[in-house]
Amino acid sequence: MILPVTDLPPVSTDPAATRPELAALRAAVRSHDWPAVSAFLGGLDDPDDHSFVVRFVGEIGGSEDFLRTVVGQAPGATLPMTLLAARLIELGWEARSGYGAEHVSQVQFRAFHEYLRQAERLLIEVTAREPADTSAWTMRLLTTRGLELGQSEARRRYDHAARHAPHSFGTQAQILQQLCPKWGGTWEDAHAFARECALAAPEGSLSGALVATWHLERWLSMDRAEANRYIVQAHVRAEVAEAAARSVDHPAFRRAGYRAAYALNTFAMATALHGDQTAAARYFHMIGAEATALPWSYHGNDNVTSFLWFRKNARAKG
Amino acid sequence: MIHETEVDGVPTLLAPISGPMQAGLFFRVGTADETLARSGVTHLVEHLALHRHGQTDYHFNGTTGGVVTHFHMQGSESDIVAYLTGVCESLTDLPVERLETEKEILRTEAAGRNRAVNESMGLWRYGARDHGLRSYQELGLPALGADDVRAWADAWFTRDNAVLWITGNAVPAGLKLRLREGVRRPVPVASSALPATPAYFAGPDNVVVFDTVVERSAAASVYAGVLDRELFRSLRQEGGYSYTAGAAYDPRGDGHAVVTAVADALPEKRGAMLGGFLDVLWKLRVGRIEAEDLAATRTKAEEYFQLPELDAARLPTYAMNLVTGQPNHTVDELLAELRAVTPADVHAVAERAMDAGLLMVPHGHGADGAGFVAAPTHSTGKVSGRSHRSLVETSETLVVGGAGVSLVREQPSTVRYDECAALLVYPDGARHLFGHDGISVRIEPTLFTLAPGALAPIDAAVPASAVVPMPARPAGNIPIPPDRPRETVRTVPRAVPYWETLLLVGLILVTLTLGALTLGALVSTLEGEPGAAGWVSTSLVGVLTLGAFAGCVFLYRRR
Repeated sequence: MILPVTDLPPVSTDPAATRPELAALRAAVRSHDWPAVSAFLGGLDDPDDHSFVVRFVGEIGGSEDFLRTVVGQAPGATLPMTLLAARLIELGWEARSGYGAEHVSQVQFRAFHEYLRQAERLLIEVTAREPADTSAWTMRLLTTRGLELGQSEARRRYDHAARHAPHSFGTQAQILQQLCPKWGGTWEDAHAFARECALAAPEGSLSGALVATWHLERWLSMDRAEANRYIVQAHVRAEVAEAAARSVDHPAFRRAGYRAAYALNTFAMATALHGDQTAAARYFHMIGAEATALPWSYHGNDNVTSFLWFRKNARAKG
Repeated sequence: MIHETEVDGVPTLLAPISGPMQAGLFFRVGTADETLARSGVTHLVEHLALHRHGQTDYHFNGTTGGVVTHFHMQGSESDIVAYLTGVCESLTDLPVERLETEKEILRTEAAGRNRAVNESMGLWRYGARDHGLRSYQELGLPALGADDVRAWADAWFTRDNAVLWITGNAVPAGLKLRLREGVRRPVPVASSALPATPAYFAGPDNVVVFDTVVERSAAASVYAGVLDRELFRSLRQEGGYSYTAGAAYDPRGDGHAVVTAVADALPEKRGAMLGGFLDVLWKLRVGRIEAEDLAATRTKAEEYFQLPELDAARLPTYAMNLVTGQPNHTVDELLAELRAVTPADVHAVAERAMDAGLLMVPHGHGADGAGFVAAPTHSTGKVSGRSHRSLVETSETLVVGGAGVSLVREQPSTVRYDECAALLVYPDGARHLFGHDGISVRIEPTLFTLAPGALAPIDAAVPASAVVPMPARPAGNIPIPPDRPRETVRTVPRAVPYWETLLLVGLILVTLTLGALTLGALVSTLEGEPGAAGWVSTSLVGVLTLGAFAGCVFLYRRR
């Protein structure tokens, strides 16, 4: 769905602002309409769309009571457990706050871990019942990080997910975080993983954005002067361009997919930082109003402000 | 067909075999019947009973298990007659002059033995009692005298508490089992040290062990077989995380069976090994039983029933069932039960197996996310009594009370005297108490500020049956108190109680206030209000200021 530029709704990081069906889903969750929720998720064939919507439901404040009720009414049903786990993970991060570990109190950490343990307990059961449930395996990559279960366990979970959905961008983006040094990995491993996924994925798929994400992660890890020098290097630009050509710039790219916006936003930020405002402007055009919190949160506290600032620059120069 | 007869009042089982004759004499006694303070007594009796056979050529052995002790051998008919007759004669007339030598041999045996990976499971599941005693060393050996081993043999190694099996069509001529009269002893009721299950605790860092107790049944043995195949496939063949990965099934002798599963891993694979292990447990728990695993497990079990001399092969198991009071079934009945096992039956076992599970995770890992709760590592409360401060850890206190002892750090470890499984008494004054719940308290008098007689309440209250007088320790094994405990020994910053912080802040405020007052008084005194009263009040406030300041310094240095 690409709207004409003139009719753009205001830029928002809320996917429901640009996707009416997600607004309807949110309303269904809020009105405790389980058949509608279940039917909507049941209709999603693409594993990336499915895992995206699972997290979307998890972000709906207060949905935990409703989801607990549904879990209680249908013991062993995997979808309610997965959605409740998504909600618990979200609650966990809310309890923890997004600050660095040194700013998080013991009480906050305890609450965080308790939510994640409850989520993990549900997800273990889901994957035991449905080993092909990519969304549950993807969520288990989040609990791996929060509960600090380690690199080898993250890799094992990813391998399970990839066995059934080998090119799921959402899953790959999760383990890419784990493979970065901040979660105990190395830049080399993370880079190799991103490039491998990008090259192995069918043309037009989103996995190419992992390469851009990796460069943004590196950029973020450096001090400002070093970062500015790093991101404009020719080989960095070439790698991102190569990845984009196989991904969002390829004719087979599916803009309608729920995770497409995240890939586009990532390429927009990377190319804007390269100084390639023409490419950035093109991506901003494809994005329309559908901003995503990541990668803009890498830049500043207000994601929409960062988005608009970068877009203004790109439009002026590109 | 297994033929049942009797030799000198001992139930005897016969079945023919083509090779050399074999025989075994079971007694319904094992480590689970002991107490911690007298642990090792069964093993010691077994060793003493075999001593007179030490120089013979034939193959014989004795094994002390959890609920049975087994004397078995292979050889000619006359060897077997000599062996069994001799064992029984020794049991009624133990060579107690060998007592100290055999104790030494047992200690050497224990020192040279490799510890099984699942050895500590019993301690956590049962505590320092019955089936839990296999986790402990034979702590009771120093306390055992000639009368103790004789009394143990007379009470447990009796003809009414024994079953004999022999591979042959008839009892060998001349066989005599001259045992004392006694009673058949029931298998002890298993205790529990786990307030909630499934539970986990941290063990060594390279291995995961899961064990569980389920009702003994064909379905339970099939569950163990399916679990074995799942673990091997998932952790070794597919994941490559483990070298060893598998499960085993062992009847406990009381209508229940213990299923034990084990996996190992290299350091960099431990997280994945544990994760994969838990996922396998959960896969079976939710009822995903692979049809081919069930079929393969059944086929393997059926192979056993096709052994050419099956009856003879079954004799030891048959005898053990008989001596522990467990039912024996015909081969046809056993095969029928095995073949009737459905995936739903295995699922039902898997649910109970998980509910009763105990997991040992690699050090530094947990299993809370998989539905396991941490097994208790401390006591829930401490006793009241006299407190003694540690010379090593300022946050550590020893409390010796009328009802028990507590060693209190962040959390207490408490052993109540009426729940004390063993009290080791060392000539140098050290005391080591073991509670029935598996919690222990070691008191090293050199590391505490103890007045003379401070430990007397312990010795007075613990019953003699729980006391083990220990031999003197080499001087090097007695800890030496540090010279400057607070600075040199403490490595972890001490947690500062909140009241100390409040007091410190308050004292600083008082110091500042008094300091200001002193200055004010001094100034006004100098400015021309001479007189003794002025100087006195100035000095007084000054002294108070110095006192408050000294308090600040003291509290600050304590941190």
